[in-house]
Amino acid sequence: MIRTRRHLALVAAAAALLTACSSTGKPDPGTSPEPGTLRVLASSELADMAPVLDQVRKDTGITVRPTYMGTLDAVNLLASGKAAGTYDAVWLSSDDYLRLRPTAAKKVVSETSIMSSPVAIGVRSATVQALGWTPADVTWSQVEQAVQDGKLTYGMTDPARSNSGFSTLVSVASALSGAQSALTEADVTQATPRLKEFFKGQQLTSGSSGWLATAYRRRGDVDALLNYESVLKGIPDLTVIRPKDGVVTADYPLSSLAGTPASTREDVRRLTEALRTPKIQREITARTHRRPVVPSVPPATGLDTTRRRELPFPGSLSVADGLLDSYENDLRRPSRTVYVLDTSGSMRGDRLDRLKKALTDLTGDFRDREEVTLMPFGSVVKSVRTHVVEPADPKAGLAAIRNDTRHLSADGDTAIYTSLEKAYEHLGTDRDTFTSIVLMTDGENTTGAKAGEFDAFYRSLGSYQREIPVFPILFGDSDRTELAHIADLTGGRLFDAQHGSLDGAFEEIRGYQ
Amino acid sequence: MLSSASTLRGVKRIAGIVLAVLLIGGVVAAVVAGRYDEDKGTATKTVRMVIGSEKAEYFADPEVVKALAAKGYTVKAETSGSWAMEGLDLKGYDLAFPSSQAPAVELAHRYKVHGTLPRPFYSPLVVVAHRSAAEVLAANGLATLDTEHRGTLKMAAYLDAARHDRTWQQLKGAGKYGELSGTVFISSTDPESSNSGALYLAAASYVANGGRVVADKAGLGRTEPLLQKLVTVQGAQQSSSDAVFRDFVSGAGNPLVWVYESQVASLLAGGQQPGDLVVLYPDTTVNSDHTVVPMTDNGKALAELLSTDAQLRKLAVRHGFRPQGAATEFASATTYLKQELTGVRQAPVPTSAVLHEMARRARG
Repeated sequence: MIRTRRHLALVAAAAALLTACSSTGKPDPGTSPEPGTLRVLASSELADMAPVLDQVRKDTGITVRPTYMGTLDAVNLLASGKAAGTYDAVWLSSDDYLRLRPTAAKKVVSETSIMSSPVAIGVRSATVQALGWTPADVTWSQVEQAVQDGKLTYGMTDPARSNSGFSTLVSVASALSGAQSALTEADVTQATPRLKEFFKGQQLTSGSSGWLATAYRRRGDVDALLNYESVLKGIPDLTVIRPKDGVVTADYPLSSLAGTPASTREDVRRLTEALRTPKIQREITARTHRRPVVPSVPPATGLDTTRRRELPFPGSLSVADGLLDSYENDLRRPSRTVYVLDTSGSMRGDRLDRLKKALTDLTGDFRDREEVTLMPFGSVVKSVRTHVVEPADPKAGLAAIRNDTRHLSADGDTAIYTSLEKAYEHLGTDRDTFTSIVLMTDGENTTGAKAGEFDAFYRSLGSYQREIPVFPILFGDSDRTELAHIADLTGGRLFDAQHGSLDGAFEEIRGYQ
Repeated sequence: MLSSASTLRGVKRIAGIVLAVLLIGGVVAAVVAGRYDEDKGTATKTVRMVIGSEKAEYFADPEVVKALAAKGYTVKAETSGSWAMEGLDLKGYDLAFPSSQAPAVELAHRYKVHGTLPRPFYSPLVVVAHRSAAEVLAANGLATLDTEHRGTLKMAAYLDAARHDRTWQQLKGAGKYGELSGTVFISSTDPESSNSGALYLAAASYVANGGRVVADKAGLGRTEPLLQKLVTVQGAQQSSSDAVFRDFVSGAGNPLVWVYESQVASLLAGGQQPGDLVVLYPDTTVNSDHTVVPMTDNGKALAELLSTDAQLRKLAVRHGFRPQGAATEFASATTYLKQELTGVRQAPVPTSAVLHEMARRARG
């Protein structure tokens, strides 16, 4: 059963909203073009290009205004036709997936690659030693063996939300399937048992490379990260390994969008030209650890130049989506989430309606095997209802969640901390799932445990439970400082539905679950 | 012959898929020309044209702009994939300048342009290889090397290897290069949207069809299984010949890539010395005939100028193109390129309709 498709359609609908509410803090791209400013739909990994783009602005007078988005969201946005008039150019880590969607590919002209970075595995230097690895000779099979022996755990970004996650998934699947050329459905099916074993080693998931690095440092018990070489090179104490049996490489093509005026296309062309001058190529490789695409500029020191096999990217949408679908619903560890939902008196009316709509929409996105607990609260936790999306009958679990959502009602005070404590108690210790808490509140804590008491409660938890992050959503009149503190304390991340939509925030958090 | 219905379907499909794929900035020519115009006030006639992206750098070259202005021309160029030009409305343009004869003939027919279409310069399609890959191919009878950086790809032997899904691991000498594993194949652009990818199929189909150009359904059927193999093995394909070449140069991507000779020549002319690059001339290849479709008298005059003006011909050479007529002008006495194309058989390119259908079938 292909559930990813339904999920993709949903994402497309939410994508336009996401651009505005993204907690990356980037401004809405606006709708009106400005001369000399290019509104660029970009992969979030490109945030590290800011100083380089400043230099380009000084050299050319062209300002790049990026809006960061995951590949699939970006491709869906392009395919929907909604990017026209809102964006001038698109700059993703790779257009491989985009090209598989003719409706999206048609929206893109003049692909010009700017730099490149292969998928790699960054391993704690102590772990490399313990495993007895020679970095230059490590293969994916060795990585797999180390995972199987329980000697290696890792984190990676969510392939459905992040370019780096998707490229990583293709690299791993191609290498472990033993496919000699582009992956086919048969290759994926045949490799499924091995891939399942491999993904048991994944201890961290994230919607973005940035948070992945933060969570990795905080956890301290994860041995490795899978991501682009450029991202891993920026994290201290990682030995960056490009597996010998092959990788997928991102080549960062910059493209104009079809239908933009000739003057805009000319600006994109000038930007492209400026980015490919030796001077800027040297800047790029020195600052971002990506590899230059002009032969006169050598890669920055520390980037190993021995060759690697390039694993072909799947040539059909059905293979790519099938792989993604099987990762989400079968290969990866399932997630367990408690939704701690403020249904106090202040939520009555429009706010409660918005919550109900957002939750109902979200049911289109839950994965097979996922455990979802709804914990509405006011003065106390009102109910604890847990549902599992059973692969044999996913509709039943999803219908039950929607049914519970329909029956939410607003009354009482706001007992944020008491309810969070209940959520931690409910989750207990479970190492075989990605476990997290989502906190949605429209106000400040008015009753029950106080902030200080919750801090003490959290610190008294066992180490496994302290790894459960809380993802708070700013909504209505909730207090940013209060919620930011909860995110910091628990290693979560704050999402903003005051400036953006509640649907968008719930949707974005999916990448972290 | 193909039925007209299926031909039409093929053409429509292509037009739908490709759109204006490559609009890299031919417009710069206009910008630079404009500046020159202000300085000297000599350029008088403005010529609007649509060109294949691989010629954008040529027309943007300040010296080309200067040479054209000296003859009284300001050029405004927009770029497009050569096959995509068939889907554009070219009203108001003076000429179209695709990178291949087949789409030019198609355009001439549509816009009722009569007479011989001028072909100012051409460029053969070649394979660029990393040194390790070229050596292994040579050691296994799939190629021969004349110099450190130049050789010949034996197409029949290569296609035979492709037919049998030969992997690098099965070739002797590949073991010492970690990057050489998996099926041996040449990367090309997407033949449905890009000229160089389509010309890869043109060359391969000519060899696979027993040295005859594919011209009918029987030929398409005969060559389809092999061509499909050549394409599907690659997985996702790029749509721009620049992108595949850049990947190669940056050290990423497949060790064998199908590109225009002009791309290599232009890189060398720019003073770049790609150490680890071997140019393999397929013993049977195709030429990319840069063909002008003049739609106005100005367009006709400009085409004439490009073909005959000594300075413009010289500049074309600098951008890696071979001017029609005189091989000696292509004096890139490098170790990478052949000055004359001796020993390289030029296969004729199928008609536009056949090539579209071939690409469609190969994509599966």
